[in-house]
Amino acid sequence: MAAVKLMSSSLFPNVSLGLPCGETNWLMSPYNLHTQIAKHASKKHKGFRLKAGFWDSIKSGFLKNSTTQVVEPPSTLEEEEEPLPEEFVLVEKTEPDGAIEQIIFSSGGEIDIYDLQSLCDKVGWPRRPLSKMAAALKNSYMVATLHSVRKLPGSEGDDQKTLIGMARATSDHAFNATIWDVLVDPSYQGQGLGKALVEKIIRALLQRDIGNITLFADSQVVEFYRNLGFEPDPEGIKGMFWYPKY
Amino acid sequence: MELKWVVTTPKTQKPKSLSLPQTSLPVFISTKPTHVNPDELQRLFGACKLSTHRFSTYAEESSSDPVQMIDVEKLRVALSHSSFVTVMEPVTPQNGEMIGFGRAVSDMGLTASIYDVMVAPPLRGLGIGKMIVQRIIRMLRSMDIYDIAALCSENERLFFEKCGFGDDMLGSTTMMYTRTVSASSEGNNMTKRFGRKLLLVPPLKSSLRFPNQ
Repeated sequence: MAAVKLMSSSLFPNVSLGLPCGETNWLMSPYNLHTQIAKHASKKHKGFRLKAGFWDSIKSGFLKNSTTQVVEPPSTLEEEEEPLPEEFVLVEKTEPDGAIEQIIFSSGGEIDIYDLQSLCDKVGWPRRPLSKMAAALKNSYMVATLHSVRKLPGSEGDDQKTLIGMARATSDHAFNATIWDVLVDPSYQGQGLGKALVEKIIRALLQRDIGNITLFADSQVVEFYRNLGFEPDPEGIKGMFWYPKY
Repeated sequence: MELKWVVTTPKTQKPKSLSLPQTSLPVFISTKPTHVNPDELQRLFGACKLSTHRFSTYAEESSSDPVQMIDVEKLRVALSHSSFVTVMEPVTPQNGEMIGFGRAVSDMGLTASIYDVMVAPPLRGLGIGKMIVQRIIRMLRSMDIYDIAALCSENERLFFEKCGFGDDMLGSTTMMYTRTVSASSEGNNMTKRFGRKLLLVPPLKSSLRFPNQ
């Protein structure tokens, strides 16, 4: 099964910051989103290969180019611009047979596209072309995932890891963002996991001063989003969609 | 960059008895990033009385209120992450003045959203806005994106309808995050101001617990 490493939209499109999850006893405590990635990356992640001076070389590349194009983003904003990949245990539960199940939240964007497709199947969504889905994830501003990791008692290393939730947001990185594709595995619904996904995205967006957060809700989830602080058609603002007239 | 001709006598209302000469105005339409100057764009925002905040102070104000300054640096960032169209009226052979603009933000795979479509007030009603939207749609379609949304206020709805937009066929509801601090909430909530709205930032929660723990 092909595991495709996808990173949320980035100024550095060739960088893969897929954070290993569920390997050995690696656990991260939640840390403040403002923590600079360059400082913590090498400390906290085992097997996280980042060459020394990597960020400096990227930065100098931008400074070089910033005079030639009118709309290059200012290099000073780089370090705080991208949602910092964050990964932590949201819930931990010990089952009667001694197995431990952890629900791990991640905004690092590492998703197996086939896992995502089977999750979409489980919630009853129509299938979409895989290449389009992969492109959409790669170019999203933030992709948040929930994985269930089950460690069986007495086993070494081989955990069962399943994708059980995802949400993503597209954004212009400055003013507007739209949340798309919020889904949670039906057998894990009703526990506040969807709420956690969406709240994390909202928090990440607001902390980066992105204030126009929109989504298009199906009728059965309007209440769900209302409880999260969303208002339908605020002040008469509506979303319209383009329909080609053949 | 393309040269287009715009007819300056609006088709809408002139009665037949008035014999005004029809004049054509040349405009340049471009999708090149180098053709957009963020400072000029900021000025166009001001001329059109638009803001980057959905809930800006423009909605309620009279013309005497101060112009809400748009952060040019943020505009630069937004532009670098958008595909956009700009329309310029050539003032001299060398440079043109930006008179229209529109941009789209897309995930390059499934969806796109159109924002900030604007035309300088004196040149409205001539089909420039529609030209901008159609060009954006053409750009998105060439990337195989057909799920194109546009957020619009009441008075922009007619414009977008004319451009081929309509209510969502699947009946979805447009929602925006508007949660603010209420009188009963605790004092140490983090909030951020965007235009008229003071939005509540969801707190960094401690872990959830399964109900049977």
